[in-house]
Order: sequence, then C-alpha cells, then structure tokens
Amino acid sequence: MQTLDIDIRGQICPSCLLLTLKELNRIGADIRSGEAEIVVLTDDRQATATIPATANRMGFHTDVERQDGAYRIRIFGRT
Amino acid sequence: MEQGLLLIVASSLVIGLVAGFVMHRADFCTTAAFRDLFLFRDFFLMRQMLLLAVVSMALFEFGRLAGVIERQPFPLLGAPTLANVAGGFVFGIGMVLAGGCVVGSLYKMGAGSLASALAFAGMLAGSAAYAEIHPQWSAFAQSTVLVQGAITVPQWLGVSPAALLLPLAGLGGVWLAREFRAGRMQRPAAAVGHLAPWRAALILAGLGFASYVLIGMPMGITTSYAKLGAAVESWFAPGHVAGLAYFSLQPLDYTPPFSDQAIRGGPGPQLDAVAAIQYPLIVGIVGGALLAAVRVGEWRPRWRLPPRQLLSALAGGLLLGLAARMAPSCNVWHLWGGVPILALQSLLFVAGLLPGTWVGARLLTRFVIR
Repeated sequence: MQTLDIDIRGQICPSCLLLTLKELNRIGADIRSGEAEIVVLTDDRQATATIPATANRMGFHTDVERQDGAYRIRIFGRT
Repeated sequence: MEQGLLLIVASSLVIGLVAGFVMHRADFCTTAAFRDLFLFRDFFLMRQMLLLAVVSMALFEFGRLAGVIERQPFPLLGAPTLANVAGGFVFGIGMVLAGGCVVGSLYKMGAGSLASALAFAGMLAGSAAYAEIHPQWSAFAQSTVLVQGAITVPQWLGVSPAALLLPLAGLGGVWLAREFRAGRMQRPAAAVGHLAPWRAALILAGLGFASYVLIGMPMGITTSYAKLGAAVESWFAPGHVAGLAYFSLQPLDYTPPFSDQAIRGGPGPQLDAVAAIQYPLIVGIVGGALLAAVRVGEWRPRWRLPPRQLLSALAGGLLLGLAARMAPSCNVWHLWGGVPILALQSLLFVAGLLPGTWVGARLLTRFVIR
C-alpha cells in the first residue's frame, strides 16, 4: 500500500480541492484497487466538507480526523 | 462623542464581531460561492447566498413597511452606470486571485492567514491608487448613466417597493423550501465547531437588518479601505494626498436613525462618519474570526505557502481595492444590501462579477495553483 501525502496547510482556496482532484485523477485507479491512498493535511475548514463530498461522488471512501489544529482527510478505495 | 455617533460605533463593532465569528465557523465565503460555480459546477454555497439575499429582501421590506427602516434606498447608492459592471468585473478577477473578497479576506486574516493579510495590504494600496484615476473614471461613469433619476428597479418601473419585493421574496422562499426538502442546502462537514452555512446566512441577514435599522444602511466597508490607504499614503506624501480631488469628496451625508444631527464622511484620511461606521466593523470582523479560531484551537499564523500564491494574493488585493472604488463598493454591500432592495447598481455589479469570476478562475488554475 502506497500513501500519497498532500500537505496544503496555509494555501489559498481552492488549492485543497484542486490539488486533491489532480492527484485523484492521476492515481485514481490505484486507489480504487486498494494499492494506494491519499492523505490530505489541511487547515481549510471548508475542505473537510468539499473534499469528502467530491471524492465520495467519484466513488472513493473518505474519513476525516483532527490533527494538531488541522484536519487529516484520508481518501481510499476499499474499507 | 455625540450619542448618535456612539451608537453607530458600538453597533458596528458588535455586528462585526458576530459576523466575523459566524463567517469563520461556517467558512461563509462569497468568493467560493461564485468561483466554485465555474471551477467545480458546485452550487452549494451560491444557494446559501441566495438564501441570505431572499431573507434580507423580506426583512428590509417588512422593516420598511413597519417603519423601523426609514430610508430606502439607503445612502451612497447612485444612478446605474457602466462603471458598476466594469467594477464588478475587475472585482471578480481580484477576489478569485486573492482567495477571498474584501470581507472574506478579513475573517481569513483574523484566523491567521498571511495570504489574506497580503491581500488586505493590496486592497489598501489599490483603493488609494484609485484616487489617481478618479477624475477620468468618474467622467466615464457620468457619461454612461443607464437610467436617469432611478436608483432601484421599483423606482425605475414606478411601482411601490412592496409590490415587487414581497412577491419576489415569496417566490424565492418557495424555491428555497424545495431546496431544503431535497437536502441541497446542507452537507456534512467535519470541522470542529462547524456552523451550517444556512444558519450563517440567516444570522448574517439578521445582522444586515440590524445594521440597516441602527446605522441606516447595510454592511459596507470599502470606503474606509481608501481612507486607511490614504492615511498610510499621507505619512509619505501628505502634499500629494491633500491635492487629490477624490480624497476631499464627502459622498456620505445623512442623518442616521436615533439622531437629529446630519453626519458626513468620505474617503479622505480624516476621522469622520465613514470611519465611525466602517472602522469598528473591520476591527469586529477580524476580532470575531480570531476569537472563533482560537476557541477551536485552530488559530496559527499560516505563512508557509508557495510564493506564486503570495503574489497572487497581493495582486488580487490590488485589483479588489481598485475595483471596489470603480464599482463603487464591494460584493457584500451589493449582494447582501443592494440586491435585496433591487438597487440597479447592485444588479449591474453582479452582472460584471460573474464573468469576472470566470476569468479569475481561469487565471488561477492556469498560473497560480498548479
């Protein structure tokens, strides 16, 4: 299992969703098959709603955790 | 301080504090509402903006009918011109590049964003720079007046405001109720202390109404950006600032509610009625957002970001400052204040804002976020 970390803390909107989408499109097949996952670290409160909503719509699973005053959003293929 | 003025300063500060707190907790971003239409075909936040506009429309009109709102249209609105469209267009580009509008950047700055602080600095500079082109720009505005002698659509059509605003608000209400039932007004969010945007929309509509009743107009802040910019500029070049015609204008001249004395103000560096209304609002929004971020343990300076984005924030801020004077005024003034009374200037501003946001989104994805 390969984990791709994206740290977008501090960046201007809508970096979070744009950069996540870019990676999802790039390695989406690997995530679906369970070979890879993406972990986004962000302090953008809105991203805790938009990233899961968008990823779920594309058929991925997500979970969100708090980490040091920021949020850790994991996007994965299989539970 | 005179009592009427004291009421204004105190109400502005409280309204600002609540607005800043609420906008941070809900991440109630007008820029995202417009930008994400084009970037992601996401209408979620735009629905919240429409909720805010529809509720404000009903509140303002019922307030007027009940006699608690006396002046409609409110001060500082003028005849519709092409300058409103052009200003809205530049404003749209600026807010996308800056990552927030003139109000959004305040609450993001309050929560610790360096990019938004840079955007704020850009806005002050852009607003002050407008004074250099004011003579030409105001001539352009005056030569492109579209409707003479009417500020709002009801005035233009010669009907009473209630005849137009109440049915329109009613229709909006029916549509919104349908959106609520279909579950399109809410979405799950995992942020700590999250406030649902629809609740924020209702609170902000209430704050706009309170501002209208207590101060005599809805929330607006951008004249004081020119004022602050002029104050900074006059440390370096006092003679130049004193010689600019724009800084000696006094467009605000009215008698506020709960007072029998007229007050005046303009974009010049002096402390006047504009400063009394808008400075406390700015301080309040920044302070409210700071408090909201601290209370959920999320306040921290955020400065480590790609130089490209810092540059974009600064350039966006400059455009915002300039556009807010060209338009004149900002998205919050027009969307949350002018659109609810169908001010022609505000409708034209939105007509420019939409294509401007589209251009901004193209620039952002092409040059800034890669």
